[in-house]
Amino acid sequence: MLELTCVSTGYETANVIHDIDLTVAPGEIVALVGANGAGKSTLVKTISGLLALRAGTITLDGKRIDGLNARARVLAGVSLVPEGRQIFGGLTVLDNLRLGAYARRKDLDDARMKQRIDHVCERFPVLLQRLKEPAGNLSGGQQQMLAIARGLMAEPRILVLDEPSLGLAPVLVTEIFRLVASLRSEGRAILLSEQNARLSLAIADRGYVIENGRVTLAGTGKELLHNPEVAERYLGVGKGVNVADASHHQQMVDRLKEILAR
Amino acid sequence: MNLAIQIVIGGLLQGAVFAVIALGFSLVFRVTGVLNLSQGAFCVVGALVMYTIEVSWGWPTPVAAVAASLATAAFGLALGALCFVPAVPRLPTSSMLILTAGLLTLLQGVLLIGWSSQPYALPPFSGEAPVVLWGVRVPTQGFWIAGITVAVVVAMWFVVQRTTLGTALRACAENRVAARLMGIDVPRMTLLSFGMAVLIAAISGIAVAPITSLEFDTGGFFTNFGFIAVAIGGLGSFLGSVAGGLFLGVAEQLAAGYVSSLFANALALALLLMVLLWRPNGLFGGGAVRRTDVRDEQRIYHAIVRVQGRGGLVFAAAAVALVLVLPLLFPSAGILSSLVITGILYISVLGLDVLMGYAGQVSLGQAGFMAIGGYTASILAVTYGVSPLWGTVAGIVLSVAAAWVLSFVTLRLRGHYLALATLAFGLLIDSLTVGMVDTTGGPSGLAGIPAFSVGSIVFASPIAMYYLVVGIIIVLVLALYGAMRSGFGRALIAVRTDQTAAVALGVNVVRYKLAAFLISAALGSLSGSLYAFYFHFLAPEMVATPRSFEMIAMLVAGGEGTLVGSALGVALLTLLPTVFQPFALYKTLAEGLLLVLCFMWLPEGIFGFATVQLARWLRRGAPPATAAEKAMP
Ligand SMILES: Nc1ncnc2c1ncn2[C@@H]1O[C@H](COP(=O)(O)OP(=O)(O)OP(=O)(O)O)[C@@H](O)[C@H]1O
Ligand SMILES: [Mg+2]
Repeated sequence: MLELTCVSTGYETANVIHDIDLTVAPGEIVALVGANGAGKSTLVKTISGLLALRAGTITLDGKRIDGLNARARVLAGVSLVPEGRQIFGGLTVLDNLRLGAYARRKDLDDARMKQRIDHVCERFPVLLQRLKEPAGNLSGGQQQMLAIARGLMAEPRILVLDEPSLGLAPVLVTEIFRLVASLRSEGRAILLSEQNARLSLAIADRGYVIENGRVTLAGTGKELLHNPEVAERYLGVGKGVNVADASHHQQMVDRLKEILAR
Repeated sequence: MNLAIQIVIGGLLQGAVFAVIALGFSLVFRVTGVLNLSQGAFCVVGALVMYTIEVSWGWPTPVAAVAASLATAAFGLALGALCFVPAVPRLPTSSMLILTAGLLTLLQGVLLIGWSSQPYALPPFSGEAPVVLWGVRVPTQGFWIAGITVAVVVAMWFVVQRTTLGTALRACAENRVAARLMGIDVPRMTLLSFGMAVLIAAISGIAVAPITSLEFDTGGFFTNFGFIAVAIGGLGSFLGSVAGGLFLGVAEQLAAGYVSSLFANALALALLLMVLLWRPNGLFGGGAVRRTDVRDEQRIYHAIVRVQGRGGLVFAAAAVALVLVLPLLFPSAGILSSLVITGILYISVLGLDVLMGYAGQVSLGQAGFMAIGGYTASILAVTYGVSPLWGTVAGIVLSVAAAWVLSFVTLRLRGHYLALATLAFGLLIDSLTVGMVDTTGGPSGLAGIPAFSVGSIVFASPIAMYYLVVGIIIVLVLALYGAMRSGFGRALIAVRTDQTAAVALGVNVVRYKLAAFLISAALGSLSGSLYAFYFHFLAPEMVATPRSFEMIAMLVAGGEGTLVGSALGVALLTLLPTVFQPFALYKTLAEGLLLVLCFMWLPEGIFGFATVQLARWLRRGAPPATAAEKAMP
C-alpha cells in the first residue's frame, strides 16, 4: 500500500536519509528501529509531507504522493502522530480532536463529527471524561493518547507513529503498545518508529533497522528479534550470545507477547 | 459632574479605537507570535480612502464606508501576502517587529504621496448636532463608534472562539508544525489574521475619523497607543485588549481634562512602564508567551564574510581617504551639508549597532537619547552660557543616567516587552520636548544655538564641522572595532546568539546588555548634541520617534553588526533626498521599502552584500558573482 523507493532527504545542508526502500501492506504493522539520530523521525516527516523529498518516490496505493503537501497527504490517508505529542495545549481536548479531522471538515456535519469523536474515543475513555478541559492539563500518557486519537480522527489508511512511548512509565508503555497493536483493523496499516525495539518488534509484522539514514536490515518482527546483531545493538543482549537459542531472551520475548496479548 | 461624564465619554470613544487596534495586535500575535506595528496605519488608510470616496467622489456614506473598508482590507491582504506571510517563517520575532515597523513607515510614505501632509476630517455619519442625554452632550458619531466597536469585538470573538476557522487560527498559534499536520494551511491562516486585523483597523479608523483629525503619520500614534493598550491589557488576550484600550482612553482624557495634555501622554507612558515592570503579562491577565529577548538567530553571522588581512586594511585605508576628500569632490553646499548630517547621524547609528547588531537587543527609542543630548547641550548653551563641549558632556552624562534608570525596566524584560519599553521611553521624551514649552521652546523649537567649539576653536563652517565629525567617527570606529574584537565583543555576541548558554558559560549577561545599552545611549546623545550645534536650531520632530525608526532602517539597510556598514545606509537615506530633490516626498516611503526589502532579500545589508562579493573577488581573482546568486540563503 505505502511504498518508498530510493528515498533520499535531509535538512538545509545535511543529507540525512539515503536511498531508503520501504513498503507497508494494508493492515500491517511495520516497525522502524534505529539509534538516536539514525533518521527515523526525518523519514517519518518526509512521509507525512513536513519535509520535501530530495530523490525517490513515495506512492500510496500506486499513486504518487511525494508531490503533495501535508494537507493533501492527510486527505490521501496518511496521518502522523509526531514525536513529542505536539498536542495543542491551550485548546480543549474536544478542539484537538476536531482539528484532527480538520482536513475532512467539508464532509463532516456536527452530528457526524460527534459520531466520529465517540467512535475514536471508545478506545480512549479517559479522553471522553475530559473533553472540555485544556489539553495541556492532561498527564503525559493521556496527552499521548490524545495525540493518537487526534491522528485517528482523519480516518487514515496508514497511521504513522513517532516514538509513542517516549517519556512514559513502563506500565503505560505496555498499554500504549497494546493499544497500537489493537489499532490495526479494517485494513488500516501502522508504521511505528520506536526506541523501544523489543516491544515494537514484538507487535510488528515486519521491521526495518535504520542506521545512519540507510536500511541495514529488514525482515519479519520475529526474525529481527532473534537476529544477534539487532539483539546486541537494540535489545541490550550481551555480545556473542546466540539469540536464537538464548533461553533468557526467548523467555523475555514470550513474556512480552503474553503481556501484550492480555 | 457633567464635565467628568463628558470627559469619560470622550475617553471611551478615544479608547474604542485603541481597543480595536489592540484587538488586531492580539489577533496577529496569537496566530503568528508577531507584534504587527503597521496595525495603526491601516486605520488612517481606511479613513483617508473613505475621505476620497465619500467627499471627493461623492458616494453615499454607507456605500463609501463599505467600499473603503473592503479596499483597505484588499490592500492589506496584498501587502500581507507579499511582505508579512513569507517573512514569518524566515525571520525571528524581533526582526519581524522591525519589519512591521518598516511596513508602518512604508504605509505612511504611501499616504504622504497619495494624500499629502494636510489634516483630514470626515463628516459625521448622521449630522453635526449632538444628542443631549440627561444634560450631557454626546456627538451622534459617538453612538456609531460605540456600536461599531461592539459589533467588531463581538464578531471577532465569535469567529475566533466559536468557529472551526477560529479553532484553526488558534491551533496555528499553539503549534505551527502540528497545525500543518492537521492539514491546516498555516500561511493562509497567517494572511487571514493579518487581513482581519487590517479590516477591523480600517473600520474603526473610518468610525473615528469624524471626531479626530487624521494626517498621513497619525498611524504611528494609533500604533503606539494600541501597543500601550495591548500591553496594559495583556498581549494575546482579547478581553484584555479591549479593556486595556478603553482604560487607556479614559485615563488619558481624564488626565488631559484635569491636568494637561502633556501630562496625559506622559501618564500613559509612565503607566506602560509601570505595567511592564510589575505586571508584564498585563493588568487583565492574558497569556503572552515569553520569548527570549535576543534575536536568536545566525541571520547575520552566517551571511557576513569579513574582508580579512591585507584586503581589509587596503579597503579601510581607501575608505578613509575617500571620506577625507569627499568635500573636495562635491563642493556644493547642499551635498556638503548632507554629508555632515550623514556623519552626525552615523554616530548615533553606531551606538544602535552595538546594541542591536552585536548584543541583539531591539531598541525603538534611540532618538530619545539624541533628544536628551541635543536639548541638554542646547539649553545649557543658550540659557546658561555653558560651553558646547561641556554641554555635550552633560548631555551624555544625563543620557547615560536615563539609560541606566530605564535599564531597571528593560533588563528585566524579554522579547517584545523590551522593544515596547524603549518605544515608550522614546515617546515619553517626545511628549516632554513638545510639552515643556518654557524650557524646550515646545513645538516651535529652540533657536539661537551656537556653533560647536572646543576652547577657542569654533567649528562654525560646514567644512570644519565635517572634519570634526569625521575625526570623532574615526576615533569611535577604531575604539569600537577594538572592543568588539576583544572579550567584550565576543561576550556580546554570545548574549545575542544564545542567552541561556551565555549564562551557563559564566557570561554576566545583565552587565553586558547594560554596557551595550549605555554605549548606545552615549553615542545617541553625542550625535544629538552635534546635530543641534550644527543646525543652530532644535525642534522636537528632528529627534522624535520616527527618527528612531529611520535609524533602524539605516542600520538594517547598511548592514548590522559591522560597525562601518551602517554608514552606507545613513548616507543612502540622507543623501538621496538632497541629490534628487523630488525624492524628498518619497523619503518616508523609501525608508519603509528599504527596511522591508532588506529584511526579506538582503538580510546582510548593503555592506554585508558588498563584503561578500569583495571577499569572493579577492579570493578568486574573478569578477563578483551575480546578485541572484547571493540573494537569499
Ligand atoms: N531540523 C533539523 N535540521 C538539521 N538537521 C536535523 C534536523 N532534525 C534532525 N536533524 C539531523 O538529522 C539526523 C536524524 O535525525 P532524526 O530526528 O531523524 O533522528 P531519529 O532517528 O528520529 O532519532 P531519535 O531516536 O533521537 O528521535 C540527526 O543527525 C539530526 O542531527
Ligand atoms: Mg526521532
